[in-house]
Amino acid sequence: MEKKPLVTYINWGLVFFALALFLVGEMNLYSASGARLGTGSTLSNFYQKQAVWGLCGLASMLAVMSFDYRKLKAVAWPFYIVTLVLLLLVPLIGTTVYGAKRWISLGAMSIQPSELAKISVFLLGARLLAKDGEPLGWKGFAGAAAMGLVPVAFIVKQPDLGTAIMIVLILGCMILFHGIKGSIFKICVLAVPAVLYVMWNFGMHDYQRQRILTFLDPSADPLGSGYHILQSRIAIGSGQLWGKGFTEGTQSQLRFLPERHSDFAVAVFGEEWGFVGCTCLVTLFCFFLLSIFTTVAQAKDRFGSLLCAGVFFYFFWEIFINMGMVVGIMPVVGIPLPFISYGGSATIVNFIFIGIVLNVAMRRSLTNFDYD
Amino acid sequence: MTTDKKKTDAPRPPWKRLFARGPAKEAEKDEPKIRIKKETTDRYQPPKWGLWMIQGFVLVFFCTFVSRFWFLQMHLGADFARQAQENHWRQERISAPRGRIFDVKGRVLADNRTAYGLSLIRDDIKDMPATLAQVSEWTGVPLEQVQERFRQSKNKVKSFEPLLLVTDLDYSLVVRIESELYAWPGLEVVVLTKRSYPEQNLFAHILGYVAEANEAELAKDPELAMGDLVGKSGIEYTLDKRLRGRKGLYDIEVDASGHMLGQVLKEEPQHGEELRLAIDRDIQQACLNALGGEAGSVIVMEPDTGKLRALVTTPSYDNNLFAAGISQRDWDALRNNPRFPLQNRVIQSTYPPGSVWKLMMAACFLENHVSPHDYVSCAGGIRLGKNVIHCWKRSGHGGQDMLHSIVNSCDVYYYRMAERVGIDAIAPFAKACGFGRPTGIDLPHEKSGLMPSREWKSRRFKRGWGRGDTYNASIGQGYVLATPLQVAVYVCALLNGGDLLKPQLVDTEPRTVTGRVPAKRSTLEFIVNAMRRTANGGTAKAVGRRDADMGGKTGTAQVVRLRSRGRALSWKEKDHAWIATWGHKNDKTYVVVVMVEHGGGGGKVAGPVARKVYDYLFRNPEYTVSAKAQPEEPFIGPPLPPAMERARQREQEKLRHRHQLPR
Repeated sequence: MEKKPLVTYINWGLVFFALALFLVGEMNLYSASGARLGTGSTLSNFYQKQAVWGLCGLASMLAVMSFDYRKLKAVAWPFYIVTLVLLLLVPLIGTTVYGAKRWISLGAMSIQPSELAKISVFLLGARLLAKDGEPLGWKGFAGAAAMGLVPVAFIVKQPDLGTAIMIVLILGCMILFHGIKGSIFKICVLAVPAVLYVMWNFGMHDYQRQRILTFLDPSADPLGSGYHILQSRIAIGSGQLWGKGFTEGTQSQLRFLPERHSDFAVAVFGEEWGFVGCTCLVTLFCFFLLSIFTTVAQAKDRFGSLLCAGVFFYFFWEIFINMGMVVGIMPVVGIPLPFISYGGSATIVNFIFIGIVLNVAMRRSLTNFDYD
Repeated sequence: MTTDKKKTDAPRPPWKRLFARGPAKEAEKDEPKIRIKKETTDRYQPPKWGLWMIQGFVLVFFCTFVSRFWFLQMHLGADFARQAQENHWRQERISAPRGRIFDVKGRVLADNRTAYGLSLIRDDIKDMPATLAQVSEWTGVPLEQVQERFRQSKNKVKSFEPLLLVTDLDYSLVVRIESELYAWPGLEVVVLTKRSYPEQNLFAHILGYVAEANEAELAKDPELAMGDLVGKSGIEYTLDKRLRGRKGLYDIEVDASGHMLGQVLKEEPQHGEELRLAIDRDIQQACLNALGGEAGSVIVMEPDTGKLRALVTTPSYDNNLFAAGISQRDWDALRNNPRFPLQNRVIQSTYPPGSVWKLMMAACFLENHVSPHDYVSCAGGIRLGKNVIHCWKRSGHGGQDMLHSIVNSCDVYYYRMAERVGIDAIAPFAKACGFGRPTGIDLPHEKSGLMPSREWKSRRFKRGWGRGDTYNASIGQGYVLATPLQVAVYVCALLNGGDLLKPQLVDTEPRTVTGRVPAKRSTLEFIVNAMRRTANGGTAKAVGRRDADMGGKTGTAQVVRLRSRGRALSWKEKDHAWIATWGHKNDKTYVVVVMVEHGGGGGKVAGPVARKVYDYLFRNPEYTVSAKAQPEEPFIGPPLPPAMERARQREQEKLRHRHQLPR
């Protein structure tokens, strides 16, 4: 068989759509950084910082692409254990920010073990599910579920509901993707209301409950917790068909819109580019997700395919929950929109995930299977 | 390839079989794309269900968000656009200067006083206690008072809006403070407008006063805002809309925290109308002096135009007290004063007109087939059942024709003739003469007075009209009530050919006819002539004079029934003294009506007052020759503090530049 360089098989569609989204995000961030004051206007440097983070992300992506993804199988368990230890340490030596203990300070920088848990559950999940192609039986399901729920329990206690929900959704979707026995699936579906009931009464803090109530009726508290939702809906809605134009949005430029460079960045976009721009952005996200799907379908082995599926679900739920929150069909949860929201570590993590997909795509032609 | 297929097909769970047919074909279609894998026998095939799930997710995602964006941006877009607009545009009204009020010769009666105040903007102040202490040191206001004021207004004023600390600063003090203001950021001198009434008591009832609008007024008038001044009484109240002018409008762009980004002047504020009253300050003062300390009223009116040259009511009050916000003590003093200084006796008090009424009755008789030569013999009274209704002159007047009945004010003549004409003819005639309804003067709360009739009595007392009622009504006693102004308007009508005029307070207002006396010219002339005779040797001889043509009729209205007389009367029980007069000299005619509350006899008490008024009018040639109106002095505002003056000049320079106006 003739040997071609690995680059031949790279998923160029994914590269293109990821970069396009990043550039749209960068442009939107430029607008969201500006604010008009009585004396003139100011421009904070979020968009410049984001560009630097983007370059760091691209470098990380290249680094992730450089080795065979199958080596990750070996790393999965150790990484998971380290993450668990760090999660255990958070209540003991963690620092409290906004009433939640999430961070561990390591001298100059601090890390957020719950973010690491996302990656480690995703890696270990792919490793466990890749053992065979059979739909999961009771034993396999219990093992995978236990693997996921241990870190989730720690994270809910911190509290960091957003990350916990993300982990449950990613792992759950990966299990569904892999296949599961019909009886277990039915029982799980029936168990969901019970779990939600227990969560509502015992697993949630008052502010989290308040957010969900506010989401159900934002007008009940227009200046308190409903303010975010109302202002973001006003911003998006006032864009109408064509939008108010780049850097012309009054809701964002006059600072009515809170969190406009992070969680509510897409509201700025909606206000300035209107229905036409939003439809284009949604379509762009769809193409981006479908290009991940291509690699899911093309992957050489089960582990690669599961990795890509995990990445797909990660992006899918982040996009769905964030945009859903901004347009008012989801409660306010602190989850950023990939490539559009400002965030250093999030950008790097996003590019690492894309690197994993590209890694799988590049190596789909290799024939030497040492494993399985 | 075939082995691979078997491998994935065999262990499929039952629920997966539902999807078996479709995805299998799909996978085969995909096959050629992955050419490189062709030769490998154990090629991996992802689970079909999983692939469908992923594609389904993307489809759901697309549909959800496109439809949601359509709903928000297209369906509800216009509504949200309006909300966004309201978010960042505020409208602010600019108050217009209130029109000033002058007397007929241009002397200021109601002025806009410029007051300087010191205000602070909380956002800009670094050290609040030190700033308050400095304010106290500059102004001499005790520190506790400044702090108290600050505490009170803190919650009402936003942190970036000026909070007024001290009002009414001296101009020289303002200049000094301004020179030191640079060291105290957040403090600023503000210019306030206050209303002042330099004539105080003299014009209190005519002008009324302004005060901050109350909640009821705010609810009624959308143009008013909290803290606006509105007229509360007098002409300030009735002509409030004209005096107020029209507010200007600023569109102000604000950001989320409410800070102003810029403003656009949408409407220029329009200065309120400057009113010139018909009243002459000097005549007004002369009338007040003529009344002395009595409680009562004096009206000076021009019969041909209806213009009021004086409108005095005593006792009066200082309306500046109200404009500045009256203290509880002052208010109690005014309210509990037994002589009711707040009452405008010209229009708000009604009295029995007494013999002045005979001027109207005589006209009524003449119009109802009574000849002026018909005689009535007065024996000092008339029998009514067991009682005798007396004439004021118990000894009787003897034979009286109409002229003499007016000159001598014989009551019996009117009893007889009223009985002949009947109340059903008298009541409508009196109403047509303006009695029993307001004159329409531009002052609030004018009383109608009362002209009784048959229907009125049965409605009010459920009793029939008696002969005694007619007798009483014929001499202006009993139920009959009139205001001094109604009498004045009627006397004017006698002189001007029968036009009942609206008494004009504002000089520039046109002559307004509100009705006509239903009488022939000869009737009116007869009565005017009778008044002339009365003033020259009759009961009104107090006003008679050589240098002018005069006419008059006195009245003494009983407050207490004759029967209870005999003991000494207290002030409250004494008769009201009336005199209704006219005087003509050179080319000017005036009607003067004097009413002295509980004064006693009309000729003795009211007559000399009217005489003094005519003395003032007719000894001064200015008032007997029609003169051209004095030119009004141009408005020169009070001085602005230097820094503000400079800012104003800069602003004007900018405006000139913008509109490219010549200097």
